[in-house]
Amino acid sequence: MDLAYRLEGVRHCYGNKTVLCIDEQAIELNRIVGIVGHNGSGKSTLLRLLALLEHPTRGKVHYFAESKEPMFEIALLPQEPYLLRRSVFSNVSYGLEIRGCGKNEIRQRVYDALSWVGLDPEGFACRRWYALSGGEAQRVALAARLVLRPRVLLLDEPTTSVDAESGRKIREAILKARNEWGTTVIVSSHDRQWLFDVCDTIIHLFRGRVVGSGVENIVFGPWRKLEGDLWIKIFPDGQKFLCPGVPGCNAVGLIDPSDMHMFPEATGSKYKRRACCIHGTVSGLSMVRSTGDIIATVYAGGEPFSAKVSGCVEQFTPGRRVILLAYPDKIRWMS
Amino acid sequence: MNYILEGLRQAVMLLVKWDPETYAAIRATLTVTSYSMCASLLLGIPAGFALGYFDFRGKRVLRTMVDTCLAFPTVLIGLLVYAFLSRRGPLGSLNLLFSLSAIAIGQTILALPIIMSLTATAVESLDRRLRLTLLSLGARGHKLLFTTLWEARHALLIAAITAYGRVLTEVGISMMVGGNIKWHTRTITTAIALETGKGNFGLGIALGIVLMLIALIVNLSVMSLRKKS
Repeated sequence: MDLAYRLEGVRHCYGNKTVLCIDEQAIELNRIVGIVGHNGSGKSTLLRLLALLEHPTRGKVHYFAESKEPMFEIALLPQEPYLLRRSVFSNVSYGLEIRGCGKNEIRQRVYDALSWVGLDPEGFACRRWYALSGGEAQRVALAARLVLRPRVLLLDEPTTSVDAESGRKIREAILKARNEWGTTVIVSSHDRQWLFDVCDTIIHLFRGRVVGSGVENIVFGPWRKLEGDLWIKIFPDGQKFLCPGVPGCNAVGLIDPSDMHMFPEATGSKYKRRACCIHGTVSGLSMVRSTGDIIATVYAGGEPFSAKVSGCVEQFTPGRRVILLAYPDKIRWMS
Repeated sequence: MNYILEGLRQAVMLLVKWDPETYAAIRATLTVTSYSMCASLLLGIPAGFALGYFDFRGKRVLRTMVDTCLAFPTVLIGLLVYAFLSRRGPLGSLNLLFSLSAIAIGQTILALPIIMSLTATAVESLDRRLRLTLLSLGARGHKLLFTTLWEARHALLIAAITAYGRVLTEVGISMMVGGNIKWHTRTITTAIALETGKGNFGLGIALGIVLMLIALIVNLSVMSLRKKS
């Protein structure tokens, strides 16, 4: 197994606040790795460390470089990409000029890169930076990274604020980079379905820690103790989530999608009064590329949950009302 | 009113007939301002970039000092340069006093804080994402410097125009360290001051017209550059 990165005892702080805390994590070469997590979970910080633009406060980020200039092997697309105040062509060719490529090669590669992200090279090459829509600007920024044919491509929320078509083009470009040049792609996103669709593996970050290698569901506090060992959390829409064995008021529970059982609301009435049960609406289905599992994204209590679909998929098509049920002994707790 | 109109008529005649005294003053002005602008841009842009881009101890104090120097009176600069270049001064052996070089040194001191301060402001006001973008594309060292300055090019042009305007129109430095020597160190502004004192309005107005024309040409050139970029 060839590795692109190995992280050892990484702690990264801004002031007194530790924003990243990863004891051990390896990232294989030629893989598409997704990073998922809530706002402030450390996704962007991790990508900047992997891009070697920042050094961890403690610990080490080992990058197994192929050449003597690792900075030329890694390309990072920041969350809010900035286009230089020049034409689209100059924006995309900038990195190649730094690397000393010839004029003819630059022209060919820039035109290829624009095509990969679904932009017509003839129509877009001469456009100025201010004459682009948000989605077009995002794709130009991605083309500026793809044109470098990097060994590692780091993408921070590339699908934020772009339409479905741009999201599809970005997905195609990522797959092309991996398949044609063996690029290792590490991509963070809030869009769980999009990540399932693109990635081979997923790293789940929560408050700067790796909490799983999939898209675990997170149930935050505050919890209120009822009688005995029973605790209750009230979701924003008023739904009550009863759960035994909660370790504290601010405990955070992690539930694997395969441990989150799903029933159509019409047939699941017998579960209505049970613990660890919540009602929601299916918003989408996606297939995990690495395992072939079908995962449903369900909005319940105002938050997204992932549940593995077992049985008849037709019962869980988008828009269907469902009941989600977790077994208390399958919930992992973080205090 | 008549003597002003007569002055204007004389001015046109002097310019049209290529009056050697008038054109000597124009040549001296263009030469000395070119030297001083080159020197102040070469020193001021990198210094202003460092002041705006990097965080270091004493940055605020330095910034305050540079900004204070924006109000440097030209006669005070003239006095300082005179003190250094006069025979008794530390640089007296260079024999630069009452030469175009002396005026250029003084004007460089005048323009430097303007270029530094406006460059620093231009760099500070650039989008914060620019640095991360350039680093993520592999830019380091001088590439990072030049691309950052190129992104701030419009603001840098404004800085250069502002400094040129100040250098072109100053009298104190040229008079004190240039000596206003006819055919040699007499610039447009010192010539206007002298000729007006002598009641020679024609030459004064002619030089005034030229001064405004130079300012207009410089501004038009910069506007055209802005459009192209």
